[in-house]
Amino acid sequence: MKIHFSLLAAVFALLLSPIFTKAQTTAQQPSVKIKGEVVTPLELKLSDLKQFEQTKVSRKDRDGKDHTYTGVLLSTILQKAGVTLGRELKGENLTKYIIIEASDGYQVIFALAELDKDFTDRQIILASEIDSQPLPTGDGGFRIIVQDEKKPARCIKMVTSITVKFAK
Amino acid sequence: MLLFGVMILPAWNYYGAIPQGQYQLIYPANFGNRINIPEDNPTTQQGVYLGRLLFYETRLSATNKLSCASCHKQEKAFSDDRDFSLGVDFVPTTRNSMSLANLLWTRKFFWDGRVTGLEEQAAVPLINPHEMGQPLVISAKKLSGDPEYPALFKLVYGDETITGDRIVKAIAQFERTLISANSRYDQYLRKAYQPTADELKGMELFERSPQPAKGIRGANCGHCHGGAKTYNELFHNNGLDSVPIDNGIQDITGLATDKARFKVPTLRNIALTAPYMHDGRFKTLEEVVDHYSDHVQESASLSTFIRGESNEVGGKTLKLFPQEKKQIIAFLNMLTDSTFITDPRFSDPHLRVISKK
Repeated sequence: MKIHFSLLAAVFALLLSPIFTKAQTTAQQPSVKIKGEVVTPLELKLSDLKQFEQTKVSRKDRDGKDHTYTGVLLSTILQKAGVTLGRELKGENLTKYIIIEASDGYQVIFALAELDKDFTDRQIILASEIDSQPLPTGDGGFRIIVQDEKKPARCIKMVTSITVKFAK
Repeated sequence: MLLFGVMILPAWNYYGAIPQGQYQLIYPANFGNRINIPEDNPTTQQGVYLGRLLFYETRLSATNKLSCASCHKQEKAFSDDRDFSLGVDFVPTTRNSMSLANLLWTRKFFWDGRVTGLEEQAAVPLINPHEMGQPLVISAKKLSGDPEYPALFKLVYGDETITGDRIVKAIAQFERTLISANSRYDQYLRKAYQPTADELKGMELFERSPQPAKGIRGANCGHCHGGAKTYNELFHNNGLDSVPIDNGIQDITGLATDKARFKVPTLRNIALTAPYMHDGRFKTLEEVVDHYSDHVQESASLSTFIRGESNEVGGKTLKLFPQEKKQIIAFLNMLTDSTFITDPRFSDPHLRVISKK
């Protein structure tokens, strides 16, 4: 009897599960939107990111171990969207920043000048691989990796959007 | 002997002149000024006055029996003591009623963050057939026939027209004033309260990340629940189930990362807002702390801030000692703001308590 009941309960639970009540939506691919003070807004999927030149950055993660992350320099992506970097990064454009948002609601900002190679050699990438493997599911499709930054707090996981703004 | 009777009176007559002008939202500096007030709905004293009447207005429901306050009770820090609330048709809601406190700082609402802004939020339970179940046009029509409301709407919006949009805006104005900032924790932060030894130890565990290799014990609660407001707008899978029934944000985004991910709620007044979690599965704070300490369930979308956080080397869950659990709960009880739940500015304005000797 006991077995029958648990079987019944399992079938019931299965019927309640979204697999049966909703259209399957799990096939969605993660993407990152580039928006705000841009000339061309972009929405990049993993396959789009692979079209850019790839950069590797090594840094320690919270586990205290060194990992090699592969991705694209943020400056490269932003320039593709027509953000004022390089020769244009002067005057009022120096009051611009990017706000990066993750699907868990976490947000961090970088000043544009922190991303520009005329200002710094420190590399900041939008990574999609860790040690040549896709990022773990819990970390989402994309993660920012900041070279040499002591705390990992701005190495934001599950990135969904990058918005360029003027400080007001 | 005291006899208490409750009489329903027209609030306007009872309270006399209605205050007007900009509403001063007062809060501690350590809450920060990242507040959210839309340009088309500034907070005014008359707007808050009207919003409070509407928050407690049962005519906004299909049966004239429920108001916002039915499932957001002040004595429960504006939450409900049921796991799922009952609406006009007595069909239980699909998720637990959330506490309404310090919404001035909230951007995304509901357990899955599906709407942005209080105005948009307030409209949802009003019209949901399993909650208050009444189209806003009907609500507007009902109130238009009332002897008091049209003049109040004129005071707030410049003319007597009552619309769903105006109803929702006034409710949102009132909700922005629900500021809870006088718990013993707030008093401690402004150096007006000396916590007990257990409260201090609980606070330390709450804030600290465990590092078993170094012998440092912690519960890391503050990673998601920290700060003066004990609220950061985050959404995580906190390991309730390996195979969840409710997929949370994934139902909206379709992303594997978002499976069973829900809002990390405010811990303010947490001792008053049982039952806990999106489905109200835990009845006590002890059960909640036990979950994080001993029962976190593995899944691909389990928050990386919970995965592997342990006080044991190689441990899967926090593994707190019974004494530590008690200390954390002592700290959680410090977050209760008794001023907030008894503040007459937030109580039902339709009721007048008459006492007789």
